[in-house]
Amino acid sequence: MAVTARGMAVLTALILAALIAVLAWTSVPSIRAYGAGFVTGSDWRPNELEVPKRDANGHVIREDGETVKETIPPSFGALPVIWGTAVSSLLALLFAAPIGIGAALFLVRVGRERILRPVSFMVEFLAAIPSIAYGMWGLMVLAPLLQNHVEPALRGVLDIPGLHWLFRETIQVGGSEVARELPLTGRDMLCGGLVLGIMILPIVTAVARDVLRAVPRHQVEGSLALGANWWQSSRHMLRCARSGLLGAVMLGIARASGETMAVTMVIGNNNQLKASIFAPAQTMSSLLANEFAETTTEMHRAALTEVALLLLVMSLFFNVVARLLVVGRSSRGLRA
Amino acid sequence: MTEAPTTAPPSARLLRALPAQRRRRQLVSRVLSGAMKTACVLSAAVIIAILFAVLAYLVTLGGSALSWQLFTDVPRARGMEGYPGGMANAIVGTGILLALAGTIGIPVGVLTGVFLSEYGSRSRLTMPVRFICDVLAGVPSIVVGILGYELLVVPVGHYNGYAGAVALAIVMVPIVARVTEEMLLLVPTSYREGSLALGATLAQTIFRVVLPAGKGGLVTGVMLAMARVAGETAPLLFTALGSRLMTLDPSQPLPSLTVQIFNYATGPYPAEQKLAWAAMLVLIFLVFLFNILVRLAVRGRHPVGR
Repeated sequence: MAVTARGMAVLTALILAALIAVLAWTSVPSIRAYGAGFVTGSDWRPNELEVPKRDANGHVIREDGETVKETIPPSFGALPVIWGTAVSSLLALLFAAPIGIGAALFLVRVGRERILRPVSFMVEFLAAIPSIAYGMWGLMVLAPLLQNHVEPALRGVLDIPGLHWLFRETIQVGGSEVARELPLTGRDMLCGGLVLGIMILPIVTAVARDVLRAVPRHQVEGSLALGANWWQSSRHMLRCARSGLLGAVMLGIARASGETMAVTMVIGNNNQLKASIFAPAQTMSSLLANEFAETTTEMHRAALTEVALLLLVMSLFFNVVARLLVVGRSSRGLRA
Repeated sequence: MTEAPTTAPPSARLLRALPAQRRRRQLVSRVLSGAMKTACVLSAAVIIAILFAVLAYLVTLGGSALSWQLFTDVPRARGMEGYPGGMANAIVGTGILLALAGTIGIPVGVLTGVFLSEYGSRSRLTMPVRFICDVLAGVPSIVVGILGYELLVVPVGHYNGYAGAVALAIVMVPIVARVTEEMLLLVPTSYREGSLALGATLAQTIFRVVLPAGKGGLVTGVMLAMARVAGETAPLLFTALGSRLMTLDPSQPLPSLTVQIFNYATGPYPAEQKLAWAAMLVLIFLVFLFNILVRLAVRGRHPVGR
């Protein structure tokens, strides 16, 4: 019995080892071929590309009235998806951290017993809704709303010097670069970030609530006794719980960066690196969801697996740091 | 020192005693306090509003598209009679995947939990395993899907249901293990001591005393994990893949509600999108059935429990 239980425990531990080992092993060809350039390269092109050959001056070479073509080999640079994951997670955090911590303060310091239960229940309800449901809602409700109302309005408001790049882009037309106004699709980085923000709201709220609840009573009562008003004592409370709150935020980032289905549905799935959050983008996880089942070459699969490996390492890092920050501050809420 | 008796609260009395500049600062601080308090209330309101916004669309759009055909028919191609058909195959497929994933994931998870809670104090493995469980729960599920692909799709040569079930089981294990551990730790030590004092072995104690006493908690963990896994899509994309046919054979590509919904929702056809909304309602209902069962199972049993 003891042996079986220990065996299963070891098996569980081995799952993590297997994850790392298998992903590392499978991505060896890509690591060999691209090395560190993999994470700095901004060109993700799984297929060969035929382009007109150019001479040293950048002119297209013509021979016998025909354009000379050359084939560029596939290239795998993960910078656009790393950027996509980072920016969308950050947007999610900008949305979820203030609201989550605010709601946690409400649950701990404002709400009466009678409304605490239903609100807590709703937070858990929100957490139990599957990712794909958020994706569908984002795709069919939020994205059209952004496209037709929010983003045109923002374009009007943000039409000030210094911010024009938000709504402009340069595209390749027939080999030359053309600047144009960014078409607003609603399925872009902003939409991805918002949907992610909604999805990590429950975990940020729940962990922040538990962390705040674990602040010793006398800390808050002491500040009240010194004449602090509600916000002053709350600030003191937040300061006492700051590392735990940072942990809550980190758990949020960990969740947001690994989230797949919802993001895939709303982010627009564009592998190019774009600065504007109003342009369609791609995250590491959505790239995997889009391309992994359709790989034809060994190198493509190896490159995707390397992206998965990066994703795994990143999420391990965030989770480990978050757990170290939250541990000891609250026994609940660690399990996410 | 004499002071005129007053009915005003002490803070107001203090306020009046202060010089004008500090009084102004106090006022600003009070206004700020009120504003922040309102902001906190609004934050909670935003969460509730989001929940209702999501649910309202789900119930109205899904409800209006709901029909018996969804449960009885398989997907039909465009142009065929009865297009877009139903999702009976996906519902059956999800059932098979959940059953298989549970068969693999529950024993591993529960026994890991038993190890952590019952043998834990005696073993150097405890801390690492507990930590790995926590970390494993945070691993993106799409990465787990890739592990399933490399381990069970590549060697077999084609997509199959078993690979999907194993991927789902891997998602389940850490959840089940940690909840099991927490719930078993709630069983009073005196139970174990009593059993051991009567001459039972440790294994007998665990199986006859501790596990039955912590049954409610075990059910919680299992149901939570099932609810989580029922809504998972990412681990199935490269493992079970999905299928438009009714199939009961897990060694072949197996359809699932989530993948089918994903394909329909991201596709361009309104009829299929409507079907996706209806199927989503069914899926959410399934997820909440698990969650409500949890609530019933733990009601009044433990002060903790979710």
